[in-house]
Amino acid sequence: MHSTFDLHRRTFLNRALVLLGTPVATGFSFEALAKAVAAPTRYLSPGLFALLESVSDTVVPQTDTAGALAANVPKTVDALIQNWASSSRRYELTQALVKIDRKSQEQYSRSFTSLSADERLKLLVELDKAAHMPAPIPPGGRKPTITEPAKYADPGFAKLKELILQSYYLSEPGLTQELTYEHAPGEWKPSIPVTPQTRPTGGTLF
Amino acid sequence: MFDAIVIGSGMSGGIAAKELCERGLKTLVIERGRKLEHGASYTDWMQPWDLPNNGMVPEETLDKDYMVQRLNYNMNTATQQYWVKDSENPYTTPEDKPFVWLRGYHLGGRSIMWGRQSYRLSDIDFEANAKDGHGVDWPIRYADIAPWYSHVEKFIGVAGDRDGLPQLPDGEYLPAFALNDGELMFKAAVEKNFPGRKVISGRTANLSKAAPQQEELGRNTCQNRSFCDRGCSYGAYHSSLSSSLPAAERTGNLTIVTDAIVDSIVYDPKTGRATGVRVIDAHSKAGATYEAKVIFSCASSIGTTQILLNSTSEAFPSGLANRSDMVGRNLIDHLFGLGVFGMMPNAPDTYYHGRRPTGLYIPRFRNVTEPADFLRGYGYQGAALRLGARSLQQGGGGLGAEMKVRNRKLGPWIIQVGGFGEMLPNPNNRVTLDRTKTDGWGIPVVHIDCAHGENERKMAKQIIKDGEAMIKAAGGMVMGAIPDPLPPGQGIHEMGTARMGKDPKTSVLNKYNQAHDVPNLFITDGAAMASSGCQNPSLTYMALSARAAHHATEFLKTGQL
Repeated sequence: MHSTFDLHRRTFLNRALVLLGTPVATGFSFEALAKAVAAPTRYLSPGLFALLESVSDTVVPQTDTAGALAANVPKTVDALIQNWASSSRRYELTQALVKIDRKSQEQYSRSFTSLSADERLKLLVELDKAAHMPAPIPPGGRKPTITEPAKYADPGFAKLKELILQSYYLSEPGLTQELTYEHAPGEWKPSIPVTPQTRPTGGTLF
Repeated sequence: MFDAIVIGSGMSGGIAAKELCERGLKTLVIERGRKLEHGASYTDWMQPWDLPNNGMVPEETLDKDYMVQRLNYNMNTATQQYWVKDSENPYTTPEDKPFVWLRGYHLGGRSIMWGRQSYRLSDIDFEANAKDGHGVDWPIRYADIAPWYSHVEKFIGVAGDRDGLPQLPDGEYLPAFALNDGELMFKAAVEKNFPGRKVISGRTANLSKAAPQQEELGRNTCQNRSFCDRGCSYGAYHSSLSSSLPAAERTGNLTIVTDAIVDSIVYDPKTGRATGVRVIDAHSKAGATYEAKVIFSCASSIGTTQILLNSTSEAFPSGLANRSDMVGRNLIDHLFGLGVFGMMPNAPDTYYHGRRPTGLYIPRFRNVTEPADFLRGYGYQGAALRLGARSLQQGGGGLGAEMKVRNRKLGPWIIQVGGFGEMLPNPNNRVTLDRTKTDGWGIPVVHIDCAHGENERKMAKQIIKDGEAMIKAAGGMVMGAIPDPLPPGQGIHEMGTARMGKDPKTSVLNKYNQAHDVPNLFITDGAAMASSGCQNPSLTYMALSARAAHHATEFLKTGQL
């Protein structure tokens, strides 16, 4: 099983490799260990995982920079569904995937994965707009406020998309090709000019 | 037998231990949590893509183990190890009065996760209780503590400007982290439109440029990473692990025990002195007693209260050093979590480099240069920043190649200012022991009954009004306001439950942080505070700790203890 411990172990392994520079002969197989943590068990069935790949690729396509697939976003989102999501969240997220495919069947009589890139984009743009409308306030419900904003009309889709974007923009390609990121910036420069090459700094809260 | 025992290794315990050790006292620090190693235990090396679960703590783990700690602003998978499991560390509150007790049990305590904002109190604060009659008069004034503020600032390293403000006395500073262009525009507009209000660089305990006394301890200049809350392997912010405990250790006088939960302090009625500290091993639950000539309680305000109330004897049936009945009363936190944010379309199209460990600060002006319909006042912490990709992705931000292109562009300047307001001392805001419930170590759990009052509600309204007016004055568009403070506790500035005062009938500690009822017991954590000011309090705890350590040593030498 791919547990949270595996994720931790992976990061610790990465750290160990960084610190050591090169693997040191220590009597255990570094390679076997690396292989074990690099190929975790998936949560989603092969069909749903393929659908997640297709959705991720549409949300963040390959352009002049890496897209979601090159940034391993589907694997990350699958691991989040398994290790981060609560059981109700897990259901919500898998249902969001199922609904995307259902919509594809309704509109094109084909599965989402078999659509052309343009068709996929068109379908997800529609779903995205509808999903992010505010949900109607139930009778007797409170008016939304800044601390308790309106719920989205389709919170499952909204969360799935958020996790895809979050996983992309926290990935190494997302942060180093698409945005900019320095782990240790060194100096604080309070004012630098903006040029056509300037990209927002990623990895921050806002 | 030690010369001194310090209960707790956090913000005040670290400094107390350093100061006692440097004065030649064989000192034992007792920490209830596990041992952490400076550097090795930290998670600051993790790249964003290394963070387990993208930094998000699993939802069911939050539900099961972190019902309270999850409310903390910096709970994520890189910092989770620093926050207690609520499931193992229970406390109770009345149903309608939530109190959010945010804690970390490990060597270094909350000095690892603190916000590092470091401000002196002024005589406006030390005189406040005497002037308006809330709480009891502080037994000290600014002049009593000023040299100790300097002493601590020089040691820990505080970056800031000398701004020449009576309500926020200047200290011994390393170079400030300069304001960015959005903040400079805001500053100019606020200072022009509201004479008496100032926008300054937030004074922070980060080494903008490490001084020799910090380098001696292996501490380095800040790298502007803003990973402070993960622990800093550069030692670039002051914590017990990076700074005060290593300084104590090099004297050869320090002993540390971890995983030792203090049950109570032992009192000898014959001598009228505390003789030692009873502990329970966190794992084996075996009991032990450590003895010393002087005891410093630095277990945090509520932690110290729990220990005192649990230290009952014939001489102190309602808890040690509690003849005044003030132990546990007057619990204070800062009004927190309310503020205003807006967009600044007129700010210059520039950017900044680095993630500086502080922001802007607006020192108190209500009841200083401007009147108010409430007592005391508030300051603001905030920042101007260019909205980044993460915010632009929220909501229906589109998708596909077009979305990628849009997220490459710098967002608009936004500004946010959040109020930190002074809560009045109120004896009914109280920590007691719930004798019907015990924790996993057989110690009665605390019951916290605390709420904001009318003065705080009036203040909260004005915080929002003033915040909105300042953003508008800078040509900003107010985008939203959070008008209600979070429940008390969430400011993580709990204090006041063993207050200093002149009269043993109405206070627990004298002007040396020495218990009126037990001369060899000193309390130098937040519990000692007779009022809170609106400034972040850790610097004051540290200054009081150093000052008390000095006096305790003198009293010991002259046989007064």
